Amino acid sequence: MAVLNTILYLVVFPGLLFLFVYSTFVEWFDRKVYARLQNRMGPTHTGKSGVLQPIADFVKLMAKEDIVPDLADKKLFSALPVIGLAVVITAGLLLPVWNIDLAAPGPISFPGDLIVILYLLSLPTLILFLAGWSSTNAFSIIGGTRVLTMLFGYEVPLFLAVLSPALLAGSWRLAEIAAFYRAHPLLILVNIIGFGVALIAVQAKLERTPFDIPHAETEIVGGTFTEYSGKKLAFFRLMADIEMVVAAGLLATVFLGGFGGGFLSAFAQFIVKTLFVVFLLAVLRAVTGRVRVDQVVSFAWKWLAPLAVLQLLIVILIKGFVL
Amino acid sequence: MKVAAFLPELFRHLFKKPATLDYPFKKIAVPKDFRGTPFLHPEICIVCKACERDCPAEAIEITPVNEAEKRFRMVIHNDRCVHCAQCVDSCPTTPVKAMEMDHLHEIAAFDRHDLKKEWEYVRALPKRPAPAAPKPAAETAEKAGA
Amino acid sequence: MKFNIPIGPQHPALKEPISIRLTVEGEVIQDADLRLGYNHRGVEKLAEEKSWIQNIYLTERICGICSHSHSTCFVQGAEKLLEIEPPRRGLYLRYLVSELERIHSHLLWLGVAGHEAGFDTFFMYTWRDREVVMDLLEMISGNRVHYAINTLGGVRRDLDEDLRKKILEGLVVLKKRSEYYFKIGASEPTFVGRLAGVGRLTLQQAKDFCAVGPMARASGLARDIRKDDPYAFYNEVEFDVATADTCDVLGRTVVRIKELFESYKICEQILRKLPDGPVAVKAPRKAKPNEVVSRYEAPRGENIHYIISNGTEKPERLKVRAPTLANYPATIEILKHGFIADIPLIFAAIDPCICCAERSVEMIDARSGEERTLRFSDLRRMANERRRTLPLQRNVAWPF
Repeated sequence: MAVLNTILYLVVFPGLLFLFVYSTFVEWFDRKVYARLQNRMGPTHTGKSGVLQPIADFVKLMAKEDIVPDLADKKLFSALPVIGLAVVITAGLLLPVWNIDLAAPGPISFPGDLIVILYLLSLPTLILFLAGWSSTNAFSIIGGTRVLTMLFGYEVPLFLAVLSPALLAGSWRLAEIAAFYRAHPLLILVNIIGFGVALIAVQAKLERTPFDIPHAETEIVGGTFTEYSGKKLAFFRLMADIEMVVAAGLLATVFLGGFGGGFLSAFAQFIVKTLFVVFLLAVLRAVTGRVRVDQVVSFAWKWLAPLAVLQLLIVILIKGFVL
Repeated sequence: MKVAAFLPELFRHLFKKPATLDYPFKKIAVPKDFRGTPFLHPEICIVCKACERDCPAEAIEITPVNEAEKRFRMVIHNDRCVHCAQCVDSCPTTPVKAMEMDHLHEIAAFDRHDLKKEWEYVRALPKRPAPAAPKPAAETAEKAGA
Repeated sequence: MKFNIPIGPQHPALKEPISIRLTVEGEVIQDADLRLGYNHRGVEKLAEEKSWIQNIYLTERICGICSHSHSTCFVQGAEKLLEIEPPRRGLYLRYLVSELERIHSHLLWLGVAGHEAGFDTFFMYTWRDREVVMDLLEMISGNRVHYAINTLGGVRRDLDEDLRKKILEGLVVLKKRSEYYFKIGASEPTFVGRLAGVGRLTLQQAKDFCAVGPMARASGLARDIRKDDPYAFYNEVEFDVATADTCDVLGRTVVRIKELFESYKICEQILRKLPDGPVAVKAPRKAKPNEVVSRYEAPRGENIHYIISNGTEKPERLKVRAPTLANYPATIEILKHGFIADIPLIFAAIDPCICCAERSVEMIDARSGEERTLRFSDLRRMANERRRTLPLQRNVAWPF
């Protein structure tokens, strides 16, 4: 019975199937909001007002021919998309999607799972770099180096920003942090600066404008994805979508008070809060242009890191004097 | 330096109707002088071949079918046509021109030979000025008599 | 570590095929090499086989964005060769379409610059507003691109009162939107941060490399054919030459937006002062043997058509010097010492119309077969020598 439970958990909810369906829905939502902000229509016609469009894109990519360049390291080249997908799905399993019983948590919620999820979210960056490197194409190598250069910029502010609410809540467990903020909703406002910093850092992690330098279409063709086609590209794109869901879920859990109540209420809160974060990310994408890679690093260290440290300071002061 | 200067405009657009037209489910009308594809009014054509001479794409072909009956065939190769309407401008017939442009613009086809249009017709007479009024009968009778 | 990065002939940054080979070290470009000819269509040879009136439509199709520029430049020259002069109303209408084309081209460029900088929202907004101009042009001429409103001796269509009012209303809408872009474009930090300081071309360099159009005007070189060598009625119309002195891509953007406002001014003056009368005169079919150089201020710079006639109804030779070709040497100079990330912006800032520039420009030494670049002074010297040694043609008998 426990085995069946685990399998259902891994494959259906909140595992493979749910993440697949929900991430395509989130991609549709993002594209629709982005288009409406630009006075366009976005996806239409496939399914009701285009809801099935991302699934259609995925199916089309799966059906296309898969070309591996001659000089590329074939084993690494082919394994990377699958590894990437596995990493982000594992990260998705750690989100506290329904009310975790704090006393008897089980394997998916344990002290320190905040660190695990952050680590699992850093792995895709390394995988993208390896993807660019193993393609042995001038454009891909430049894309790969840009991915790592950006990592030097946004990683530290992201960690610091996500750390602050955890400090205030006094726990390293996602479920406990969420429960804490559900119990004291006013304290959410203390972390506003951290929320802003985390939003911008997450936009950089997901490689969306203004930080979509690694696969800047007009400059280096496809960047890290230049040589990928067919099924491998489909998996990479799915990995990017699920990464967005995981990042939005992480931000919603840590900053917006998680998902509580019974099963249905938690599910509804999950959808609403993650869509809210995705909406903010889409607005950020529409309102800015692309920046250069050196400008990213200098912006991150001049503005993001100090703001994250300021947030940390505020949290320490409040915890010391108020709580 | 304002950050996100576009933001108010962006949010306003969330509530506006999109500027995109849902073609091909919705279409808009073309303006009245739109240059579509050329076609012929065969009953007016006087076969002066000005359109054939002036066409930049060599899209008009006029060949005689039967010299005695003055039958001609005109083929308009719509796959070569550049839709410039020079043929309409060069056509000298008055008051209605023999060549005219319609408003068709959705003329895609799978085979370019499907786009050729043909007419076979008898050449119309060019309009001549009305003949001079007959001389008064007295004068002619005088000439005849003298 | 030095890399050789090829940009083109197929590249998402380029709308048309051109090959730039860059030698880069890290993110900095050390050297650039330009190869043309991928878009060569043999237009100049084709022009020798077509009559004067057919050539209007041929020259129009040299380019899609600046189609009216090439057509008008040709027709200006052909009218001088045929010794006819278009009536005032025809002239006004022809240059009204010219200014509308300048507006549409600059709005298009603003969108492309936004897209190259990764700022897609700006791209969508400017192209949505460009639809206003495209609809106006469709109402005036019957087609959105390739207006075909020129004919030898004037224009082919007339403007009625209703349409005149519609154009004035459209201009009001466009002016409001352009003011908004001017305000925003100068203050959106990611956009300005990308454009400022990129692609520097000093005033001396602009003069040395013979840059034309907004590229030269952004370096402070106030060169505009409409003021330097006014054709048609441009000496009766009031407008200013838009310049900037930041010498970089931001300056070129500002120059183009300022030119939008100047074009609105000119369009309004044309519409209010439109004279009555016929729109065209009848043109003869054959031209006496002669040669003419016709200059025109296209949206991208100075467009030169050199036409020789030989007494028949077809030209003897047509030579097109599009403005983008004149900007290439300056582009290569700018590309050196830039960043890779700036390549699309630098290239977009010259507003490349590569199909305009694809005439055969051979720079290969015939004897030794080696490729070298000729300096302009060499070219000038060679051209003057050739003209001196050619026999003059006097009293040519032409069959009329």
